[in-house]
Amino acid sequence: MKQRSKQSLGRWLRFLLGSAGLLFTTAALALLAGADLARAAPASLTALSGSNEQCLFCHKQPNMLLKVGDQQVLLTIDESAFLESAHGKAQAACADCHVDIKEFPHPDYSKSGLREFNFALYEATTPGCQNCHTEEAQNAMMGVHQQTLDAGNHNAAMCADCHNPHYAASAAEREEVPDVCARCHSELAATYKASVHGEALLAESNPDVPNCISCHDSHNISDPRTVEFRNNIPLLCARCHSDASIMDKYGISTNVLDTYVADYHGTTVTLFEQTSPGLATNKPVCTDCHGIHDISKTDDPQTGIRLKENLLVRCQRCHPDATANFPDAWMSHYDASPEKYPLVYYVNLFYKFFIPAVIGGMLVFVISDIIRRIVDRVKGGAHA
Amino acid sequence: MKTQPPVKKENQRTYLRFTLAQRVEHLVMLLSFAALALTGLPQKFATHPLSVSFIKLLGGIENLRAIHHTAATVMMLGTIYHIVVVGYKIFVERRRMTMLPALQDVKDAWFALLYNLGLRKSRPQMGRYTFEEKAEYWAFVWGTVVMGFTGFLMWNPITAAKFLPGEFIPAAKAAHGGEAVLAVLAIIVWHMYHVHIRRFNKAMWTGRLTEEEMLHEHPLELADIKAGLGDRPIDAATLRRRQRVYFPIAAALTIVMLFGVYGFVAAEETALTTIPPQEEQAAVFVPQTPTPIPTPIPSPTPTPKPPTPTPAADAAPSPPTWSGVIGPLLAQKCSACHSGATPAGGLDLSSYASALLGGANGPLFIAGDSANSLLILKFTSGSHPYASLLEEELALIMQWINAGAAE
Repeated sequence: MKQRSKQSLGRWLRFLLGSAGLLFTTAALALLAGADLARAAPASLTALSGSNEQCLFCHKQPNMLLKVGDQQVLLTIDESAFLESAHGKAQAACADCHVDIKEFPHPDYSKSGLREFNFALYEATTPGCQNCHTEEAQNAMMGVHQQTLDAGNHNAAMCADCHNPHYAASAAEREEVPDVCARCHSELAATYKASVHGEALLAESNPDVPNCISCHDSHNISDPRTVEFRNNIPLLCARCHSDASIMDKYGISTNVLDTYVADYHGTTVTLFEQTSPGLATNKPVCTDCHGIHDISKTDDPQTGIRLKENLLVRCQRCHPDATANFPDAWMSHYDASPEKYPLVYYVNLFYKFFIPAVIGGMLVFVISDIIRRIVDRVKGGAHA
Repeated sequence: MKTQPPVKKENQRTYLRFTLAQRVEHLVMLLSFAALALTGLPQKFATHPLSVSFIKLLGGIENLRAIHHTAATVMMLGTIYHIVVVGYKIFVERRRMTMLPALQDVKDAWFALLYNLGLRKSRPQMGRYTFEEKAEYWAFVWGTVVMGFTGFLMWNPITAAKFLPGEFIPAAKAAHGGEAVLAVLAIIVWHMYHVHIRRFNKAMWTGRLTEEEMLHEHPLELADIKAGLGDRPIDAATLRRRQRVYFPIAAALTIVMLFGVYGFVAAEETALTTIPPQEEQAAVFVPQTPTPIPTPIPSPTPTPKPPTPTPAADAAPSPPTWSGVIGPLLAQKCSACHSGATPAGGLDLSSYASALLGGANGPLFIAGDSANSLLILKFTSGSHPYASLLEEELALIMQWINAGAAE
């Protein structure tokens, strides 16, 4: 027995010395731990020290595949790539995130399928994420993905679906974000990439155009299908589109929100947003005419809604009976002027003078009558 | 318009100025006008905080619009009633058209102004309707026409755009708003002053004016009444004859106008009542790979392939041995658990001798019979937790067992 224990100690020593880059102190600690555990641990469960080396002893084996349902999960970790990652550089320990893995064999995650396995892994590691990324995790807990997960749909994104915890050097760059979202939302991402915003982002790394998270946020992603989100869309677009420092470069009007709000549609939506943000209105918001992910330039020869025929198609989605004249009922974000919408301009001009003229005339009579009556009364006149 | 024999009341004669029907008509118009103004101005100045609060109070803009439309309908019906009644007075009763503006009204207005400015000695003397009243009446007529026309365009923009350029609709909105401001200001300045401030005139509620009031405000009408120059009564036969002509015409006209109002209210279903359809009925969840992440990455350092035995050629010449292939392979893959002081499952794979002892579940292998060897069964059935052997590794071990599991 004594001999055997000596033998095993020797093996541990050989293993530890054989591990590259291991510091003496760590070795001593691990040795102590190892010796300690060797005495205490029950035969079937081997407690783990928590050092990355111990994890990697198994997990750096290539093609370490675990069958989950009819799929497989790769349990292999590329150590050198991990050391290059953000977590690797921060010297994070495996056990910092895998807080539940304290012994071998490891806790048995769900094996009905890869997604369920990942969900079990997510549940187990989330406390680890939260420890360092507190704010992001808190925000994500309020987001639509978490809501979906909570509702039992485990296809929704979990931390590691967007952020590769083992190999990512950082969060995705601006230009990479659509690809991250495309992992699950490939159709929407493809539509976005072909849009005026997506094209500019990908072709020229344009810093002014929005990527997915500019509108949807990254962690606290609100459900874009809600009424609140819809009613807020004009203000969302206006964050950039009423900012002259962004729009002037492209010769785009910053008057779009004001002209929208001044119009019937915009007035209604604004009032809904202000008086009852949770109540749906059928009046259009920006995206109903301009598109959601497929926003194109308004002068695009194919789809641009500056072309009346294209605009009419948009009108007809809410006004099925609209005819060719109808699109002109919408002033296309213009303020009335002698050039644009002259009739509106001259009607406004007429009342601008007509109202003061009429009311002014009335006031002349009224005020002079008041004065006269006061004078008469003071004089003791009969016709007070 | 109607003057009846003066009635003695509290030592003063009073004169009927407005019949009950006229007073009720005034009340209906007053209420609908007020409702239109109260629900219209917040729409014109929709972003003003006061408007927002008021709209919230009424339960939202859709409610506000419903009230506005209802009040507009009431006012249209009131207008039809007025047209029919005025027609009756003109064509059947043949009353004097005392509300018609005339050159005398311009003169009266001018003289009133001069008097107010101290440039004339006396106030102009006026008849049944003073220039102030006529101005208000005809302003109301003008306003009703403008508001009705522009209101129709806004209420029925699709129908309107079939006959008119689309631009007429925002123009109608501009005119409707401008006219509304004008009307409300006129009521506040002109009507309030002349009827409520200058002298609180209760005739529209009581129906009567005292002789003194008549003397002050309608001296010429009073003089006419006293001189017996009021409207003469019509004999019954003539009245009936005229009525026989007027009533069918009025009925037909009323039906046409009511149809007009119905068309106004129900000409079109302007828009969908539902949220507009999205531009793309896009599928939200369309994953790129069967499951996105963790994506199985290609093995970073490809396994140094153990010499792949080809059954026919290699089996006989050099079957794998413990010391040559199997021992190192198991040391690499298994020794983390299956070695040491307390090897997992009691199985110690650190040496050939200890491996032969097997573990808690019995011998590790049966030499020559890989199919019944525990080691192989564990992996082929997938019952070994958190460990796996590559297929070629397993094949190598099977080959070793089948060949006798030599050291």
